[in-house]
Amino acid sequence: MSNQKFTSRNSQLEELRKTQGIIPWHRRHEFVFGALFLLVVYALLLPQVEFPSTGQWLAIGLFFLLSLAWSGLFLSDEQKPEWAKTITVFVILFLAGWLFYRYADADWERLSHVFFNWELMSEPMEGGTTAWDILFAGLKLTLQIAFFSAIFSTIIGLLLAVFRSFENKVLNIFIIAYIDFFRAMPIIVLMVLIYYALPYTGITLDAPVAGILALSLNSSAYVSEIFRAGILSIHHGQIEAARALGMNPVQTMRLVILPQAFRVVIPPLASNYVASAKDTAICSSITILELLKSALQVQAWRANPTAIIAATGIYIVVFVPLTRLAGVLENRMKVNR
Amino acid sequence: MNKEINSEVMIEVIDLHKYFKELHVLKGISTKITRGEVVAIMGPSGGGKSTFLRCMNRLEEPGSGQIIVEGVDITSPYVDINKVRTEIGMVFQLFNLFPHLTAIENIKMAPINVRKISDKEATERGMALLEKVGLVDKAHSYPDQLSGGQQQRVAIARALAMQPQIMFFDEPTSALDPEMIGEVLDVMRAMAEEGMTMVVVSHEMGFINEAADRVLLLADGVIEEEGTPTQIFKNPTQQRTKDFLGKILSL
Repeated sequence: MSNQKFTSRNSQLEELRKTQGIIPWHRRHEFVFGALFLLVVYALLLPQVEFPSTGQWLAIGLFFLLSLAWSGLFLSDEQKPEWAKTITVFVILFLAGWLFYRYADADWERLSHVFFNWELMSEPMEGGTTAWDILFAGLKLTLQIAFFSAIFSTIIGLLLAVFRSFENKVLNIFIIAYIDFFRAMPIIVLMVLIYYALPYTGITLDAPVAGILALSLNSSAYVSEIFRAGILSIHHGQIEAARALGMNPVQTMRLVILPQAFRVVIPPLASNYVASAKDTAICSSITILELLKSALQVQAWRANPTAIIAATGIYIVVFVPLTRLAGVLENRMKVNR
Repeated sequence: MNKEINSEVMIEVIDLHKYFKELHVLKGISTKITRGEVVAIMGPSGGGKSTFLRCMNRLEEPGSGQIIVEGVDITSPYVDINKVRTEIGMVFQLFNLFPHLTAIENIKMAPINVRKISDKEATERGMALLEKVGLVDKAHSYPDQLSGGQQQRVAIARALAMQPQIMFFDEPTSALDPEMIGEVLDVMRAMAEEGMTMVVVSHEMGFINEAADRVLLLADGVIEEEGTPTQIFKNPTQQRTKDFLGKILSL
């Protein structure tokens, strides 16, 4: 006989079902289907008015709560099939959405016309370009800037971390000062300084270059801390073994420490790149027409904010997969030794 | 052990002191290690055994005193310590194999990058060493696919690949399960018989009795007693030695 204390309620349920045909009343098919039928009838009898009174709100709320209770009972039963449970979840979500749509005092027509006006987005403006064209041109710039600043920040950050590992007191003062400075400095200030102030010292940079430089400098401070943590995470015995073999510090770093540290730092680096990519929006303040600025311009020209919604969608569609890709990379690093 | 011990001095330690912050860990160690000699260092934990060993290849920085390896004073600021370390092979308690490389790659790395020999020659040498320690079939395995005893044997092969004149062992079997200790000690015994100069920090009484030419008993930072294994184990003269032996022999 199984130890009563350790079996879950559901296996007790199974025991009951098998041995004695006894099922709790709320799990019996008769109850489940009966209640479902009643809920459907209830749904059909819901008030048909636009603006429900308080009593009617209570009725609607009660309906939703009962639906939740029913699906809670249904989903918590291990015996019910998976496909039915999946359908239940989607039905509940749909129900919540539909109730909101039906009874919330929203002017859906108007909302759609103002914020989701896709016809306007596809309508050609002067010069034959559509709003979508402008947005995608902005996206291209965003991605280019993100890409180059990722590369440069990685190179600088790696060099800083390696130099820091030499534990030279004087060098460390400069490195730590650099890191503190660029972590404290708001990116927008840095960008404006590089683009507008630097020319007074004779260094004039194009807007994209200035943008990439500012983003690289800022990101490199974070990247160097990530690499430093990765390097420090490598067991000290590795360094000892390498040095005992006669390898000098540079060889030790290059052949033993960095290859191992590289695997460790991929996840935090990847999330750093994605966060940094969103900072490209700051470039809009130095005349770069990246994605966000393009969207704002279209909004200004067409007096309609749909472009911003579209830009948001583009950000999500582009960056969520990148984050997932970073996760996949992390798993591949673990398996493929 | 009956073998010819050349009287060439490989390492000379003169009045070595070492401090860890306030703690006086080594209080004036002096000794000589001659070619072909197998020196065992025993003693209670915290006595300074590992510290002493690691000072001799400067993995720990000596506080004061002199250490002369093959005629080179390694405590001098002008010495190229990397060159000196190529003459001393070291085997660690925790193996310290490079986990991102296979066994043969672990072994090849130093000869190729430090001795600058060709990949082909390094591979040949490496495979010969793997054969010597009995692990040829594991050449392309990663450390995490090997048992502790196998990892330690690869570590020994890795140290030997640099063809050092002296081998250091820092408690090589202390992290191993009992069944695997034997296979590692066998390799070490073979090396001793071939005439390798060895300095071994260990608690393995059986091995020390068989293979060591001299035992140093290190306690509280000084060499309490020194002699052949027979002398130390059968007729210890110092109280400290007797205390220590009493504790470990009662196992």
